[in-house]
Amino acid sequence: MTNSMNKTPAEILEKAKELFNIKIEDVADRQYKIISENDKTIPLLSFLKESGYSHLSILTCVDWIEEKKFELVYILFNWSNGTTFLVSTFVDREKPIFYTVKDMWPTAEYYERDVHEFFGVEFEGNERCKLPMILESWNDLPPLRKDFDPLKFSKEHFPDREYEKDVIHEAKIIRSDLDDTRGDING
Amino acid sequence: MTGVATVGRVAGILLTAFFFGLTFEGIGRKITARIQKRYGPPWYQNFIDVFKTLTKHGWTHGWIFDFGVLMALGGVIATLSFVPLGNLVAFPGLDNFFVIAYLFTVGALGMAMGMVGTGNPWASVGVARALTLMLGYEVPFLIVITSLMYYYKTGNISNIIMAQAQSGQWNIVKFPIGALVALISLQGMLGKEPFEAPIAPAEIASGPMVELSAKYMGLLMLMNTFMEFIEISLFVNFFLGGGNYFEFLLKYFIVWTLAVMISAVLPRFRIEQAVAFYWTVPILLAFLQAFLVVNGWVF
Amino acid sequence: MAQIDERSVWEKIADQLRSRSMWMLHYCTGCGAVELPPSMTSRFDMERLGMGPMATPRQADIFLITGYLSTKTLRRVIYTYEKMADPKYVIGFGSCTINGGIYYDSYSTINRLDLYLPVDLYIAGCMPRPEAILNAFNTLMEMIRKGEANGWKRYKENYEWYKQNQLRSLGEVIIHDEFHE
Repeated sequence: MTNSMNKTPAEILEKAKELFNIKIEDVADRQYKIISENDKTIPLLSFLKESGYSHLSILTCVDWIEEKKFELVYILFNWSNGTTFLVSTFVDREKPIFYTVKDMWPTAEYYERDVHEFFGVEFEGNERCKLPMILESWNDLPPLRKDFDPLKFSKEHFPDREYEKDVIHEAKIIRSDLDDTRGDING
Repeated sequence: MTGVATVGRVAGILLTAFFFGLTFEGIGRKITARIQKRYGPPWYQNFIDVFKTLTKHGWTHGWIFDFGVLMALGGVIATLSFVPLGNLVAFPGLDNFFVIAYLFTVGALGMAMGMVGTGNPWASVGVARALTLMLGYEVPFLIVITSLMYYYKTGNISNIIMAQAQSGQWNIVKFPIGALVALISLQGMLGKEPFEAPIAPAEIASGPMVELSAKYMGLLMLMNTFMEFIEISLFVNFFLGGGNYFEFLLKYFIVWTLAVMISAVLPRFRIEQAVAFYWTVPILLAFLQAFLVVNGWVF
Repeated sequence: MAQIDERSVWEKIADQLRSRSMWMLHYCTGCGAVELPPSMTSRFDMERLGMGPMATPRQADIFLITGYLSTKTLRRVIYTYEKMADPKYVIGFGSCTINGGIYYDSYSTINRLDLYLPVDLYIAGCMPRPEAILNAFNTLMEMIRKGEANGWKRYKENYEWYKQNQLRSLGEVIIHDEFHE
């Protein structure tokens, strides 16, 4: 087998297409988006990792609420020719379960904890997802889902400052009739 | 009668150290500020700092902590009363270098004991680092002082001052390499850059002083001031010839300004780099100086 | 405006001393901390007022809350505030401490700081410039000399009220994370 580090992106995509049955879109110069099915994603990721795309930039998630799916996106980067692949799969929104990739990339453990806390996706094989990392003592909906209302949450838990507009006082300040206008904030 | 005179002299030394130590520290801050092209705090800023810490309501961490701080400040005050300020000597005949070196450890160990007694792990780490650095700077300094005492055949500091006055030459001219080594060690003793790693605020939150709250902080600031006063006084007495009270203060001020200006422009070494430095270059120079003194080749 | 308490002669002298040598804690909570280095360096020199940074809460007098506070940070800020020695002063920088600022609808930032900690002085702005910061420090020094800056006394007297607010918004103030357990 030839050294797979020197293949161009087009060749790698051709080979991946015939092996894994994927859909490819061009996003920008040297950025390609690959959409694959659930069970073929992990072999695809390990194939790409051995073809030179060994840097996992991030693992993140997009909430498609009308189609009732979560889209998991893995961004892989190649250090020798600067090409980025965005590998994405769709997971069911009612029962979001996927597999962990922390054996291939150790940092993926923290990305998966992040996605678990904010979207609720479970990763089999990553037991530390249950430990709180960013949110502490959180027992509400996962916050980055689109059916979570942050304004309502904020008004319930964090009381605001009530303002009463004192029009005459403010008019005096504008007309420079008052000497001491040091911040007179209510409360 | 002599008892009253002795008490008067001791009080004079302590008040000089208190007043001029804090004033010169304030002037040092101003010099640092001017080097950095800004105005600094007023010269009496350190007085206000010390008195302000005495007005805060802190709390203690147990009797080891109290006792350690007392031992630190008491040991340093006891050491200070033996140091001659030029020709103001509190206990004539007793101001031997060995006495001062022995009493010095009471202060340092008291502080170490008190800080470790707080229970904060950073205090223990900071104390370990400070003692490691002490291992670095003490060795070249002691070699140079020993060769000096061998040359003059006495350990008494007043006699060394008088010998410099009689021969008309300061020791910095007779033993230039030794004076250079002593200056480098002095920079480490004062805890100034480039050897500031044990007590700098950015290094593990002030190292040993991490758990001191109100009056303990004030007492430790005073202890630091007194220790700096002792160290620079030793250098001035050994190498710059003492002199009368006012000449002594002038020489003290010049050495202090030199130390401050060096510390304002240099970065900080790590502890292992500092100890490695002390055990290569200054030790070689100190041995060279000792070799020259033993063979009698001085200016 | 805070009420002025009765002070003895020693307290008045002590307040004169405290106002001229304030040590601020080097804890920069939000994005407003970027305005502190310009205040400390040579153009707007902060040290000529006697202020300087101090590394540990045990020795610091002033706590600068520079910007928004998420709930996670607020737990640690409460720990740190209770570690400081009396008398201590809190300054709230920026509009996020006053009414939530641009993060008023976030699920994790608080909207009003003085429900959780006693604040002596607010500075308006997003972020306030160094001129505003130095003006605020001068104002704080005046307040200390007049005896108006007694947030620390209010915290001790109304401790239950502050704790209730903290527990309502935070759930619990004890920190459970991988480093504390």
